[in-house]
Amino acid sequence: MSGTISIARTDQETTISIKGRFNFEMHSQFRAAYQEETVDKNRNRRFVIDLTGTEYIDSSALGMLLLLREEAGTNDADIEIANARPEIRKILETANFQRLFKIT
Amino acid sequence: MKILIVDDDRINSTILHRLLSREGHQVFSAEDGQAGVEMFDSERPELVLMDIRMPRMNGYEAAREIKRLSSDRFVPIIFLTAVTDEEGLVQCIESGGDDFLTKPFNRILLQAKIEAMERIRRLHNELHSQKEELERHQERVQQELDISQHLFSNIVRAGNLLDAPCLRHISRPMSQFNGDLLVASYNPAGGLHIMLGDFTGHGLSAAVGAMPLSELFYGMTAQGYSIGDIADEMNAKLLSIMPTRMFCAACLLEVDIRQQSLMVWNGGLPDILLVDGNGRLQQSIASYHLPLGIRPFNPDDRKVSIFELRPETRIFLYSDGLTEAIRPDNQMYGTERLEHHFDGNLLPGLLFDTILADLDMFRAGAQQTDDITLLEINCARANEEAVSGTILADLDMFRAGAQQTDDITLLEINCARANEEAVSGTTAHARQKFIPPTNWSLSFFFSPQLLQTVDPLPAVINAVMNLQAPAGHRERIYTTLAELYSNALDHGLLGLDTRTKQTPEGFMRYYTMREERLAALEHGFIRLELTHIPQYDEKQQKIGGEMHIRVEDGGPGFDHHHVHSTLEGNLGHGGRGIALVRSLCTKLAYNEAGNCADVVYRWTI
Repeated sequence: MSGTISIARTDQETTISIKGRFNFEMHSQFRAAYQEETVDKNRNRRFVIDLTGTEYIDSSALGMLLLLREEAGTNDADIEIANARPEIRKILETANFQRLFKIT
Repeated sequence: MKILIVDDDRINSTILHRLLSREGHQVFSAEDGQAGVEMFDSERPELVLMDIRMPRMNGYEAAREIKRLSSDRFVPIIFLTAVTDEEGLVQCIESGGDDFLTKPFNRILLQAKIEAMERIRRLHNELHSQKEELERHQERVQQELDISQHLFSNIVRAGNLLDAPCLRHISRPMSQFNGDLLVASYNPAGGLHIMLGDFTGHGLSAAVGAMPLSELFYGMTAQGYSIGDIADEMNAKLLSIMPTRMFCAACLLEVDIRQQSLMVWNGGLPDILLVDGNGRLQQSIASYHLPLGIRPFNPDDRKVSIFELRPETRIFLYSDGLTEAIRPDNQMYGTERLEHHFDGNLLPGLLFDTILADLDMFRAGAQQTDDITLLEINCARANEEAVSGTILADLDMFRAGAQQTDDITLLEINCARANEEAVSGTTAHARQKFIPPTNWSLSFFFSPQLLQTVDPLPAVINAVMNLQAPAGHRERIYTTLAELYSNALDHGLLGLDTRTKQTPEGFMRYYTMREERLAALEHGFIRLELTHIPQYDEKQQKIGGEMHIRVEDGGPGFDHHHVHSTLEGNLGHGGRGIALVRSLCTKLAYNEAGNCADVVYRWTI
């Protein structure tokens, strides 16, 4: 049982929303959601990972976020993780991901 | 296709034979059930056409027998029957028949049925060979996994002190391989290093990462590196071998009972819980760093937090598999339920078992979704072990001249057990090549800039051990050097007073001050000189050596008279280090200014 992904794109920004369980089963879906945009690294694209409907996140999902960060340019990547519920925020903060991503 | 016709009606049989031969099939005929079974066994046909009423053995029985003989492959049986009543047809199917054809037969229908059976047979064979291949594959994989597991556990467990009396732990891997790594080992100064690591994912891929980490852990701990250094090295290792989406949430601890201190490096693991003598949660130590293997370390990433330990303190650490364990309705165990145990209503000694029992009750048999690890460190017992086990195996020497106290009696009781630990801990070094005692000397000079960047001791002790490695002396020489060095640095150069450490607030203040003063240090130095002189017996045979150690600092000198005066009360707070050095060495002398110590360490072959 895994979650579902929906994507919304504007000129500068890609919003990836994850509903349900964000775990290892989402790997290929999640990757497909951003891969098109990260091919052209000069575009300075912003990514928003919207966790409004996310119920659970595991360490594989954290790994996927790291992969997105790398493919979007590591330290130059502009990635925001938004609307995480408190339990998920706690998981992100335990891993100190606020040093790698903007968590809002 | 090879087809067997079993029919006692000659004419019928002959017509069929001719018809099928013309179609290109290889045909065999048997005149009754008994002969049919025998011919089936010898000719191994791929399809059987079976009459029902025959002498000796009827068609139903023959079909059953044939199905029994061909249980490992699929041989379709088509009944040739004049029977049209439902019961007769049901019996055909029940005895193992796959289809039936009513007499007199229609040629087209017969061909169609044979073709259909052939399709089913081919499908069946394909499935069968795929299944066999899968089984072979699975068997091979399982064999490889078994071998890997053997290697894995030997590498991870070699030298692991998880069975030390002060530790209780439970590891419940989700699969054959554990993605949680739990290792423990003593450093040369008697401090207990413990690491819990939790890799992304589970199973083999997670376990593979655990192997280099455990090797680094044991190797660097034995050489006296700090947990900050070890974390740094592990991070670099994982960065070079792991894919981006894998990392290792980890926590490294150093429990030093002599200094009553706990050092923590926590990157991504749940809070470490310190529980007091009443079973009450006293402090949670949250993760301060990124997990290992995400990005290169900067100086801040090596930072270790230090806490005071009381003998009655218990330390709990766990992987998130514990708090994220689910029950059948997918509810998680949670930190709240875990920390509820630490409300002071339980005897501290019962906490570990109570938590496990509660977890099992909660999960109610639900499937495990992650590796689960829980570890308890009982500081009261770490005391027994660390003091008696690694450094003070020669307790008598240490006790000489000291007043007999209850504390020391306690040490004696635990000593026997502690020696076993010491033996297993030194086997690795015992394998080192023996170098006969020779003349040599080494000199080191450390500037403030160097002292601010690294702890030079592991490098020094390695240099010494490469020249002269007296078996079983590494820990003592290390301790001697470490105590003299830290006296020179803390008191000589930084002007700190050990008496500050006597209260919990003072304890924290001491380490904060140490950090600040070290960062601001501009002048001074530490000079370390080691001279080794071989010793001979009356027949001029080499019997061992003397190591003359001089540690000098560029500070104004410290109150060594005070240090001397505390020697007898060596279990008190101040000056424990120097008392220890005195017990390990044959001579300890300070110059008048108190900034130069001379020590002689003697060893025999």
